[in-house]
Amino acid sequence: MNEAVKVSNIKKSYGNHVVLEHLDFCVHKGEIFGLLGINGAGKTTTLECIEGLRKYDSGRIAINGKKGIQLQSASLPQYIKALEAVRLFAKWNKAALDETMLDALGIHEFAKKRYNQLSTGQKRRLHLALALTRDPDILFLDEPTAGLDVEGRLSLHEQIRNLKANGKTIILASHDMAEVEDLCDRIAILTGGRIAFIGTVEQLNETIGKHYNITIRTDNKTEKYESDNIGETLLSLLMQYKEDGETVSDIEIDRGSLEQHFIKIAKGA
Amino acid sequence: MGAFLYGVSLQWKLDIRSKTLLITCYIVPLLFFAIMGGIFTAIMPEAKDMLIPSMTVFGVTMGALIGLPPSLVEIYGSDIKKVYKANGVPLYLGVALTNISSFIHLFIMSIILYIAAPLAFHAEIPENPGMYFAGLAIFIAVSLGIASIIGLAVKDQAKTSMFSIIVFLPSIMLSGIMFPIELLPKVFETIGKLFPAAWGYGLISANAFRFEHLLPLLLFFALSVPVCGILLHKTEE
Repeated sequence: MNEAVKVSNIKKSYGNHVVLEHLDFCVHKGEIFGLLGINGAGKTTTLECIEGLRKYDSGRIAINGKKGIQLQSASLPQYIKALEAVRLFAKWNKAALDETMLDALGIHEFAKKRYNQLSTGQKRRLHLALALTRDPDILFLDEPTAGLDVEGRLSLHEQIRNLKANGKTIILASHDMAEVEDLCDRIAILTGGRIAFIGTVEQLNETIGKHYNITIRTDNKTEKYESDNIGETLLSLLMQYKEDGETVSDIEIDRGSLEQHFIKIAKGA
Repeated sequence: MGAFLYGVSLQWKLDIRSKTLLITCYIVPLLFFAIMGGIFTAIMPEAKDMLIPSMTVFGVTMGALIGLPPSLVEIYGSDIKKVYKANGVPLYLGVALTNISSFIHLFIMSIILYIAAPLAFHAEIPENPGMYFAGLAIFIAVSLGIASIIGLAVKDQAKTSMFSIIVFLPSIMLSGIMFPIELLPKVFETIGKLFPAAWGYGLISANAFRFEHLLPLLLFFALSVPVCGILLHKTEE
């Protein structure tokens, strides 16, 4: 069986408000699967249903492997020291302390610091370590880099890639498109409790088309353009600026972030 | 069992690191004892007979009702409970560990009072120490049971403090430790009997296990355990 997780026809409501509607997807073993959506799209509810932390109304979820869970909002008693927390969770799960994992996550750097003295990045690493104490096959990460600085994000991305290289299946919920684009093998975009797109980042780009955003700055102004044919548009714009006697000081061209693509999908859904 | 014992020892350390528990379980009860013990024995020499039980009832009630609920709210009113559940730690562990640790702290505080009262104020030592400490253990367990209900039912630190004080004040004022319960109007005497402190004071000051004091305490305990179970179940949902 190549599926680590199979979600079939899940429905979840809070009172009259339907949060997830006929949700169907599967996550392959060994891949990093991104769950994308704007706030309120149902990412966390989907993850918590799969993790077993939340009941769902109907449907079926099959999990093929041991779970490790890092929650979006997580906390520990403020006076507990980092290593004490890891020991407690390891002992409770009858697991040996994995020194290699602790080293890789840099837990020993702040092992004797109390939870209320840890930085956001250290707390994220600690909660990742707690999720890994059971040596899970499938790792759930909910907004793992929220609140981290650039260095912290890059470090955590590296650790997530290492976990994948060690054969873990990773399900990652995020609204950070750059992160998902950078890390994930496949993504699912949730809008209004339904899956609007599922596939690779490349497939998403193909679905959206080759759309470019152009920003041209002159000494006097900054103007933005959009184009589906970058060569012709850029040439004609530059000719126009030259004719108008304007000196172009800077040109910025981008294909649009995954976020823009995903908002388009969300709007079209 | 190893994991549970590690949890108990860890909770014990966390409680020592927490200044709140040190204040409610040790500093305030012992300070109250130092001041009130001096006043009581100076103006009423016969207070020496009941100084140890009365100060102990105050300390235990204070430590349990004011000290324990905030620790429970920290766990069950926050994301800590989700982290426990997500990582395979059963939810009852928080209640169990904080109760066991608080029990030990309150017992130690009571022993300090037991030793210090005769030295400082020539207080009478209970005639039957075995009965005294057995009754004390029951009273501490019952007080912690009531405190656990407050900590599990109210998920907000400010509201928890308010509820704790609502239970704490009549417990102390109407239990008979400040003045003889017979001097109170009948209605206050009856209200006082709704709280474990009155029965606990009766039990540990009697030098014998009197059924009329023991039974209400056992009923309080028998009630608090399933209520805590229901509240924990609700928390899990």
